[in-house]
Amino acid sequence: MASEARSMDDYLDEIALKILMIEPGDLSVVGELLELAERLIEVAEEVPYLTAMVKTFRQVLERIVMGEVADTAENYDRLAQCIVQLQEIARTQEADDKLLQFFCEHLTAIGFPVTPEELSVAGPQETGGQDAPPAAASTSVDNSTGPDFLQDQDLISGFIAESFEHLESIEVNIIELENNPGDRDIINNIFRTFHTIKGVSGFLNLKTINELAHTTENLLDAVRNGDLTMDSDVIDIVLSVGDFMRTMVQNIKDVLEQGPEKFIEYDINSYLERVRSVQKEAGRIPPESTTLAEDPGDERGGAPPVPPSEAGTEPSRSASPATSSINDQPEPKGPVHKGQLGDAIKVDVEKLDSLVNAVGELVIMQSLVRQNPQVAAIADSKLNRDFSQLSRITTEVQRTAMSMRMVPIRQTFQKMIRLVRDLSRKSGKQVELIMSGEETEIDRNMVDSIHDPLVHMIRNSVDHGVQPLAERESEGKPPIGTVYLRAYQKGGNIVIEIEDDGQGLNTAKIRKKASERGLIKADEDLTDYEINNLIFLPGFSTADKITDVSGRGVGMDVVKKTVEKLRGKVEVQSQPDKGSLFLLRLPLTLAIIDGIVVRVGSERYIIPTTAIQESLRPAESQYSTVHGKGETLTIRNKLIPIIRLYEMFGVEPVQTDPLQAIMVVVENEGRQRALMVDELLGKQEVVIKSLGAFLQDTKGVAGGTILGDGRVGLILDLAGLIATGKRRTTGAEEAETEPAEEMF
Amino acid sequence: MTANEAAQLEDEGRKLEGKYLTFALGKEEYGIGILKVREIIGLMEITAVPHTPLYIKGVINLRGRVIPVVDLRVKFDMPEKEFDERTCIIVVEVQGSSGAIQVGMLVDSVSEVLNIGENEIEPPPAFGGSTDTGNIMGMAKVKGEVKILLDIERVIGKVALEKLSEL
Repeated sequence: MASEARSMDDYLDEIALKILMIEPGDLSVVGELLELAERLIEVAEEVPYLTAMVKTFRQVLERIVMGEVADTAENYDRLAQCIVQLQEIARTQEADDKLLQFFCEHLTAIGFPVTPEELSVAGPQETGGQDAPPAAASTSVDNSTGPDFLQDQDLISGFIAESFEHLESIEVNIIELENNPGDRDIINNIFRTFHTIKGVSGFLNLKTINELAHTTENLLDAVRNGDLTMDSDVIDIVLSVGDFMRTMVQNIKDVLEQGPEKFIEYDINSYLERVRSVQKEAGRIPPESTTLAEDPGDERGGAPPVPPSEAGTEPSRSASPATSSINDQPEPKGPVHKGQLGDAIKVDVEKLDSLVNAVGELVIMQSLVRQNPQVAAIADSKLNRDFSQLSRITTEVQRTAMSMRMVPIRQTFQKMIRLVRDLSRKSGKQVELIMSGEETEIDRNMVDSIHDPLVHMIRNSVDHGVQPLAERESEGKPPIGTVYLRAYQKGGNIVIEIEDDGQGLNTAKIRKKASERGLIKADEDLTDYEINNLIFLPGFSTADKITDVSGRGVGMDVVKKTVEKLRGKVEVQSQPDKGSLFLLRLPLTLAIIDGIVVRVGSERYIIPTTAIQESLRPAESQYSTVHGKGETLTIRNKLIPIIRLYEMFGVEPVQTDPLQAIMVVVENEGRQRALMVDELLGKQEVVIKSLGAFLQDTKGVAGGTILGDGRVGLILDLAGLIATGKRRTTGAEEAETEPAEEMF
Repeated sequence: MTANEAAQLEDEGRKLEGKYLTFALGKEEYGIGILKVREIIGLMEITAVPHTPLYIKGVINLRGRVIPVVDLRVKFDMPEKEFDERTCIIVVEVQGSSGAIQVGMLVDSVSEVLNIGENEIEPPPAFGGSTDTGNIMGMAKVKGEVKILLDIERVIGKVALEKLSEL
């Protein structure tokens, strides 16, 4: 049985110890050594060099016993050296000529002349003649490999990526489990995660991770078997083990990327202790966990107990112990596990991008061909039919290509559950997170970037928005605070809302602080909405005591900056004592937007259709100027400021008379403007293309697109446009024309 | 000149030798390292982008990609010239703040690709005063003509971009 087999390393260590203890004249120890050497030969069967060397070593010992070789301390020292070389060879698993050379030199000095050639030839010959039981050999050999896990970088990097995914799923599953305690499927999922990590890390010889995963797996196994309940203690420990593992995997990633000097040997003992103590409380410790602590690298010891009833349903689990005991290459685990991930493949983002680009080109080329006057002149019904078929196909390809870049926001949202859980624990408030719209799809590239702003805002809502229990009760609010996290698509935007039912922003104090900081004039005419949104200004958040003043505002400028980088917007709406609502508007980058193409002079611009309310040629009665402060258009008793696009963009216009031009009334975040253009050219679906790093921050321009004739058209950024227009006109006019719209 | 400086100059000369694409701006001949050049395209319609420095002519559609076009004449404070059939856009790849970006450069005409040896290159002259020679890597004398070797990264690359964002 394999469990009886001891590894080569063990024997070598023991021999080394004995040799050190040996005294001249004490032949009984030499006898023991002989016995150990005999066993070592059996174990070392697989490594011919080693077998030959050990056999030679045994012969030397025999001669000592028979008195043919001097029984001196000096000779024992030399023998000890020989053992060192044997250990070295056992560790590297390959014959090293130099070591062999040393080995022979030592033996020759002792009085047992031997050459490396003899050993390498003698090895196979003698082994052939001997019929040592080979059964015990195979499993023990791999234990001697060193901690160098960098040997197979491809496997390691695969492991890193997979581990991160798995660890993330642990979190999600655990949190789900908290809501549905006792759900066996979820427990199984968590168990499987640790099991997979354990398996792969064992194979890659990542001992610490392997050991930690294994111990945790045991704990979860106890939960699965009903010996332990998944209470908050267990959940806490599993979560923190998950976090710690992430740290360890990250370290391996660092090592892989930046070199072995980055390697940190993590101390997992405290975690092991915690896991075991939790398990002990339940009164059941599987014997494996103790054996494993002594010999973490032992794949066999690491195999979990597999209840036979479940073996059939979980191929990876039933397969892994079997493979590892038959041979020493548990690769099958990888593939088997991959099958569980479902029918998904990973694609390089760059490839995806170029596909999306190419498809965009295809659509444009198709319309170019179709609009070619000569083609358009062909009056052939078959051609027309084929064209519509073609465009159906291209549209479908385009839609699919686009959707490949989109992922549900669920994953990001689910991380927030954990956050709220931790935060509410820390602050001692009871807070519930209610999510909706997790299935809303968001551009893959955005997922990572929105995580931090979300964390920031949720933290703010829990820490500062939701009041402590006593305060809530005195205000007649339910004891459990609620934070809502919602996502939905509105027009060309993804909207994410974070709402709490806390105390809201203290507008008066924000105003005071802002004027102290010189961000606004003390008597500046601002709506509450405008004042509240001052918290996003960089100068505002540097106020060190802002938490005491308003309870909000720490680092909110960071949120704004991140969101703006994504070409999104963030704003806050607040009602005193009712709570506050953070609104994140993110574009569906790369998504096709519907736009109206307008002409100004010789230039064409695209206005997002969602922003357009109406377009009209104004009557004289509608047009008025507010003494030199600006032009306005009166529509249904509303004064709407006019922006002359040609003026703002420095384009030579065709029409300078507002009454002859076309006015496009647009709305952006509650503000209305009438854009003066020469002509409406039509509606078109356009693909937003970045103008590149060079022109990214251009005011009033959101991006470019390739129009039907192959030229670049600029997509207007209304928020930027209005902001620029605002600076040109005066603040007073702002307040006069639309005070109502900016309040809420 | 100390031995050190001489060695440094020599080093620079060696680094500078290589193939250059030369082009004309007015009466002056310029050269840029051939490895920076992606392609040369004829003049196409340029879409102006508002609120940008004058030397940015606008953007073009380069096979589905939108890339900015810089008018080198304006960039170098030279008088603007009517575009003609010899006017070209040289598309170069420079380091932007986040990776390589392609930028078009409007030039009067493209001349040839020259192999310039290190002994033909001299350090940029110091004119003193307002003339900024930071863009110039060196001056090459080839067949009796002077070619101004441009450090394109400094003309339109990251360094120039950072300046742009300060505007």
